[in-house]
Amino acid sequence: MTIEECYAALGGNYGDVLGRLRSERLVQKFVLKFVDDGSYKLLCDSLDGGNIQEAFRAAHTIKGMCQNLAFDKLAKSSSELTEALRAGDEANARQLLPTVVSDYEQTVRAITEYKNSVL
Amino acid sequence: MTAMQKERILIVDDSEMNRSILADILYGEFEITEAENGIQALSILQEESGKFSLVLLDIVMPEMDGFGVLAEMNRLNLIDNLPVIMVSAETASSQIERAYELGATDFIMRPFDASIVHRRVVNTILLYAKQKKLISIIEDQIDEKERVNSLMVDILSHIVEFRNGESGLHIQHVRVLTNFLLTKVCEKTDRYPLSETDISIISIASALHDIGKIGIDDHILNKPGPLTDEEYKIMKTHSTIGARILDSLTMYKDNPLVRRAYEICRWHHERYDGKGYPDGLSGDKIPIGAQIVALADVYDALTSERVYKKAFSHEKAVEMILEGKCGAFNPLLLKCLAENGEAIRNILAKPTEKVLRRELRGFTDALAHTKAGEVASDRTLRLLDYERMKYNFFAAMTEEIQFEYSVATDTMTISPLGAKKLGVEEVVVSPENSEKLKEIIGGDWFKTLIATLEKSTPEKPEIRYEKQLHCNGEYRWHNIIVRAIWTDEIPPKVDGFIGKAVDVHDAHITITELKENATHDPLTDLLNRAEARAQIERRLLNYPNHKYALACFDIDFFKQANDTYGHLFGDKVLKSISQRMTRSIRASDICARMGGDEFLIFFEYDTDINPIIARIFKSLCCSVDKFDVTISMGVAEMNVVGESYEELFHRADLALYHSKQSGRNQYHLYDDSMKDVLPESNLTAIDAPVGDENKED
Repeated sequence: MTIEECYAALGGNYGDVLGRLRSERLVQKFVLKFVDDGSYKLLCDSLDGGNIQEAFRAAHTIKGMCQNLAFDKLAKSSSELTEALRAGDEANARQLLPTVVSDYEQTVRAITEYKNSVL
Repeated sequence: MTAMQKERILIVDDSEMNRSILADILYGEFEITEAENGIQALSILQEESGKFSLVLLDIVMPEMDGFGVLAEMNRLNLIDNLPVIMVSAETASSQIERAYELGATDFIMRPFDASIVHRRVVNTILLYAKQKKLISIIEDQIDEKERVNSLMVDILSHIVEFRNGESGLHIQHVRVLTNFLLTKVCEKTDRYPLSETDISIISIASALHDIGKIGIDDHILNKPGPLTDEEYKIMKTHSTIGARILDSLTMYKDNPLVRRAYEICRWHHERYDGKGYPDGLSGDKIPIGAQIVALADVYDALTSERVYKKAFSHEKAVEMILEGKCGAFNPLLLKCLAENGEAIRNILAKPTEKVLRRELRGFTDALAHTKAGEVASDRTLRLLDYERMKYNFFAAMTEEIQFEYSVATDTMTISPLGAKKLGVEEVVVSPENSEKLKEIIGGDWFKTLIATLEKSTPEKPEIRYEKQLHCNGEYRWHNIIVRAIWTDEIPPKVDGFIGKAVDVHDAHITITELKENATHDPLTDLLNRAEARAQIERRLLNYPNHKYALACFDIDFFKQANDTYGHLFGDKVLKSISQRMTRSIRASDICARMGGDEFLIFFEYDTDINPIIARIFKSLCCSVDKFDVTISMGVAEMNVVGESYEELFHRADLALYHSKQSGRNQYHLYDDSMKDVLPESNLTAIDAPVGDENKED
């Protein structure tokens, strides 16, 4: 699997990220790093524990990372979730969560597959 | 940024990945320190903010967010010297606005472009570096201005002192004391909110406290005995006179130094109990500066020796002041004075600015006395007169034309003898337009001279050149030396010039003649042998790819002609031949008389040499006074014999010999069949019996 195929699989825009970061090596490095980031777990845990503030920050971080990496699909769903959490609208947030979960899992799947093919 | 030390950047972001992306973008060029939340960032900054050149700051973070960091940086006064660029996924304009309001320098939105982050970071760091440099320049300038201010005040106050007959140290003491007491008083109380700058300005202004005495009549000011009531009344007006002088400086009315000086001048004879003059102010209605100067004035008078009294000790002086014998003062000030006897003795004993003061003394001496008596100014005028006389004397004696020009007056002054020599007036207004000078020096002389002088520098303002001047009907060579007068401005401008023109015509002619003689044959004016060789070798070296040929010829039966018709006739033939030579070649070709009747032509050609050489040969054969002149000539081409002068000359000589052998009155181009004809040295032997002129070389 190439990095471009990985981007296609996770619903991202490889052309965009390469244009901004200018180096395939850098893109690869950060894509692989993405799965190690704890924000997603923090998001889920915080929502479970009802900590909306913490959940907001976690969602915000995910959104920021996705924007930087041009993971467009997850960026869109996590951004919507971030705004719901910022507004303190927990009900809406819980409605939005499943999309984020499925987008996140899709992203991690694609990256894992890519990782296995390059390592 | 620099090869010596990398600038350090602090990256603050809770996401390790985000920090890592930024660090990777900036890695190599900068030292990176990372913090994962606001609290950590602040603790790093508090410890070593000076080490960082820039902060990249995320907004949404746990513990303390980006706004919190900005607010703290404001509180700690870090934000002015350390630029912060926000990096955030926040897009709401209210958030961005808030960041800017809190002092952020720039805002980069996620997702960001690596090259833009890099560019903005570099730009911001450069901008701040520039700003720091500018700040230090301005600080220097302010410093310089203060220094100049203080110098001017010193000069002014010394004028007053000298008229006043006071010791030169009084003003200095009052100033030092004022500074000291102000500092002490501000330590004791915050009743008088004075900054350090205020204190230094008041101290400088203190020197002007008696400036009004300039307006008091000499005989009252310096009266040896006590003043009458009438005189005392006049004397007392010095405080209002001083204030009026300062008040009339309308342009500087808002200048802090002038404002403080006004207060001091007007109110330094007020008393804390309201019984002073001129306005009867009391308590703190009297500005603190004036209060302190009043006390310093009295204290220094008591502790210094005067003609009419010896110096009192600090303790005695304080005692007298406290007893109210010398006025009424602010108790707080008295306390400061009484408490610091030791310190005051020390600062007054310090020999401050000794050198400066000695210089000042000389300067102010002169200023003060020009008004009081005639002694100094007489002497100065005499000295000036003497210098002028000396200058005029030497200027009149010299053959040199000396001149001087000032841009301000657009006037040129010429030394008397010089003007006479040139036939112009001693003073020429607007010399650029003087027809007479144009005629003498040349049309555009003025513009050219100024342009040349402007190319000189204040360090090397002198230029020299030789030029022919047209005077008394003849052109004569002059050696001209001119020195630009540069202004002190930045950048400096040419303000005028001085210079002289020395007639070097005879020497110039002699040297030109000597040069000519060294290189030319005196009879024919052609180049001589050595010069011809030198020029040909230069030509061969500089233009290696050109086609050259060298021709040698001598005049057939020249010796016989000489013997028959005499040497004068021989000379005539030689001259005639050389004239024909120069006419038949181009100016760039070289012709020379090698000696006796032997000549040389060195020329360049493009294609076929034959028609050229035929033409030259033909033009050289002529008749002089019925004597038919014919020549024998040999030619060597560079492409046949090689590129050295030696070869060319030798082969041409062989070809010449061949021509002679073949019956004279002809020319031959050298070819290798002539190689083995007799060597040059034997030529004479062969030649001699025929009766031709011997070769001289």
